[in-house]
Amino acid sequence: MRVGQIIRTVGRRLWFFLAILGPGLITASADNDAAGIATYSLAGSTYGYQFLWLIVAVTFGEVVVQEMAARMGVITGKGTADLIRERFGVRVTAFAMLCLLVANLGTTVAQFAGVAAAGELFGVSRYITVPLAALLVGVVVLRGTYRIVEKALLVLCAASLSYVVSAFMVRPPWGEVLRQAVTPSLRMDTTFILAVLATIGTTMTPWGIVYMQASVADKGVSTEEYGRVRLDVITGAVWGNIVSAFIIICTAATLFVHGIAVSTAEQAAVALEPLAGVWARELFAVGLLGASLLAASVLPLSTTYAVCEAFGWERGLNRSGREAPIFYGLYTGMIGLSVLVVLIPGIPLFPIMWLPQVLNAILLPVVLVLVLRLINNPRVMGTRTNSRLQNVLAWALTVMISLITLILFISPLLPKI
Amino acid sequence: MLYVSQLQGKQVWDAWGQAVGYCKDILVGDMEQPFPPLRALALRNGGSAPEFVAAEQVSGLYPSIILTVPRAEVKAFSPRGDELWLLDRVLDRQIVDTDGRRVVRVNDLQIARVRDRFCLTGVDVGGLGLLRRLGLGRLVCSVLRLARCSPSEGVIPWEDVAPLHREDPIRLRVSWNRISQLPPADIAAILYELDRKTGQALITSLDNETLADAMEEIPADMQVAVLSQLKPERAADVLESMAPDEAADLLADLPSQTSEQLLDLMEDEDSEDVRLLLDYPEDTAGGIMTTEYAAVPIGLTVGETLNHLRRSDEAQDDEAIYYVYVVDDERHLRGVISLRDLIMAPSDVPLDDQIHHHPVTVRPLTPQRQVAYLVAKYNLLALPVVNENGVMLGIVTVDDALDAVLPTAWKKRLPRFF
Repeated sequence: MRVGQIIRTVGRRLWFFLAILGPGLITASADNDAAGIATYSLAGSTYGYQFLWLIVAVTFGEVVVQEMAARMGVITGKGTADLIRERFGVRVTAFAMLCLLVANLGTTVAQFAGVAAAGELFGVSRYITVPLAALLVGVVVLRGTYRIVEKALLVLCAASLSYVVSAFMVRPPWGEVLRQAVTPSLRMDTTFILAVLATIGTTMTPWGIVYMQASVADKGVSTEEYGRVRLDVITGAVWGNIVSAFIIICTAATLFVHGIAVSTAEQAAVALEPLAGVWARELFAVGLLGASLLAASVLPLSTTYAVCEAFGWERGLNRSGREAPIFYGLYTGMIGLSVLVVLIPGIPLFPIMWLPQVLNAILLPVVLVLVLRLINNPRVMGTRTNSRLQNVLAWALTVMISLITLILFISPLLPKI
Repeated sequence: MLYVSQLQGKQVWDAWGQAVGYCKDILVGDMEQPFPPLRALALRNGGSAPEFVAAEQVSGLYPSIILTVPRAEVKAFSPRGDELWLLDRVLDRQIVDTDGRRVVRVNDLQIARVRDRFCLTGVDVGGLGLLRRLGLGRLVCSVLRLARCSPSEGVIPWEDVAPLHREDPIRLRVSWNRISQLPPADIAAILYELDRKTGQALITSLDNETLADAMEEIPADMQVAVLSQLKPERAADVLESMAPDEAADLLADLPSQTSEQLLDLMEDEDSEDVRLLLDYPEDTAGGIMTTEYAAVPIGLTVGETLNHLRRSDEAQDDEAIYYVYVVDDERHLRGVISLRDLIMAPSDVPLDDQIHHHPVTVRPLTPQRQVAYLVAKYNLLALPVVNENGVMLGIVTVDDALDAVLPTAWKKRLPRFF
């Protein structure tokens, strides 16, 4: 009896720790979802180590953004959509939710494209894998075994660790790697800017903000425990971006040096050859599948929840389809539409894995501006409004992303540098 | 019908057609009335603090907000402090629909003239309210009319809602009173829909009995969160009011220091029961049994038994008496009779002739699944738990036994947000 109780206590403590360490780690792992792997592989194989400095910069950006979201969750105990609705009324909310929906629909498409690509690496047609994956995600979410699956998939995602090992095995020129990590390089051509936006949009997303705030609010973290949440945010961001950096190093050292700019998942898998040899394909496919399924089960559900919360529609999985038609309709719609896009005959999978990230980056400033207005309102945040430094950083980020977006749209008109 | 969203930011004119300012907010008072009257308008006119105009000096609200007096004669009005600011505190926020027993979001608020006064009459929670505020209301209405559907209104009368206001719960005593009248399961569901801080404000306003009943319906992690918000003395009172098996489950989820402290604060009689239950693992008969059941001594007649039950504290505590158990002086289980058989039997026959002498029993360490199986097999509503000597320890009721097979709605659900 005694021993049993001790085990139970220890288990509970451990669970509590894992629970607190949840959202940061999950959002960070979601950075390395199908879209992330595709984006970094593309950046590394096309531009070598040139994107490393951006990863460093983006890490700071992610910490700033996610910390704000977490703080709002702790102080207000409400979701982002809820706060936006209460403070800005129906019109602004409708616009913000439209942005969120569009960005997340794109990312969901990317996840199912990831599933399709992983399946095809094993030689299974996407017409089999994608509907199966949609079914699996639906069952997992509706049956409510979501928490367990989330933990299991996190383990599967650890396959992305193989990039770290692989990078050390190829022995890249570390001096060059470090130099590139601190010297910003920029080019004015459209593809480069697209890749920059995709990298930003993979790490910082409207969805990341909503998810972070919601999970923190849901856990009911008290103001005193806030330090622990911030630690989780920082560890999550740093960890996620270390993995991202290693994906870039790996692909740069294996593909860029041979002049192969990745345009299919098959090519991207080559980056794992130093570690896995002939099994590189399988390893890559497993990692891709895990990452895609994790994101595909978290993303549409949290989006649907946020939208329904903002408009006050019945929501939550404890409601039946008849009680919450819009909730289930929107959820099914998102998954169904994504599946259909991926199943369009002949659609190239790799581009639809990374292009939606550009959309995320372009729409991020909309949500960021709203978040900044909320978090600087003492009636919402009490004494925990942004410090001057936080404001400077966050506004700089918002302006920078908007500027890069602007450059993207005028870049076809610029002379090549 | 007039909606407050139409008044938001609207220009206010005095009796001579001079602009006075813009409508910043609408204050209603006398919240205990079913349709609280408008008390004042808050105007924005350049200054940092709003200027107030008493409702008596407002002649009309729509199509224009016009005062009854010229600018110079506007009397200074200062809010008494018990007003509800409609635009700031109610519009776009969540409120409880006490009739539909759910949490809804306020898309708009209806104001109507009732005997010379403007009163708050209803809350628009429907899709039409949303569309109207998006500027699409008229368009959609005409489309619907073409399609020969009448748009569903989705307006709830004000007397059937309870606004929530976590910063200032006293002001909304009316709301809390309305909510605490609801069945415990509905209160629990509402608690679950609200954000944590508002939920906790609601909890502190409930009385111990209501709170205990609602607590039994909410999931474990929320129980812990709720309990940790209460002062230890109140937490102990709430635990006393809960069924011992539920209280034990909850205490098992707390850090051992806290649960010891709470057990010490509880009355001895209640805490002993709970301590006994805490010793058994959660998924055994002992873990799910309750120590509150109706028992009578041997040797009574049917009539005496009924009289005994009416006076017995034990039977009083039993929330749903399904069976009456016959025990001897050392509390050995000697037999059982269902309440139905007991009532139907003539009152002068000895109880011993009517009872089943060999009831189905389980041991405290019998697995929950086995208990569920027995309950289903013998069509029982409750199953006695006895120790190796046949001493009765408690009963497992059918709902707790079936939890193993059919988890309650709450257990099925996911974390509140996804």
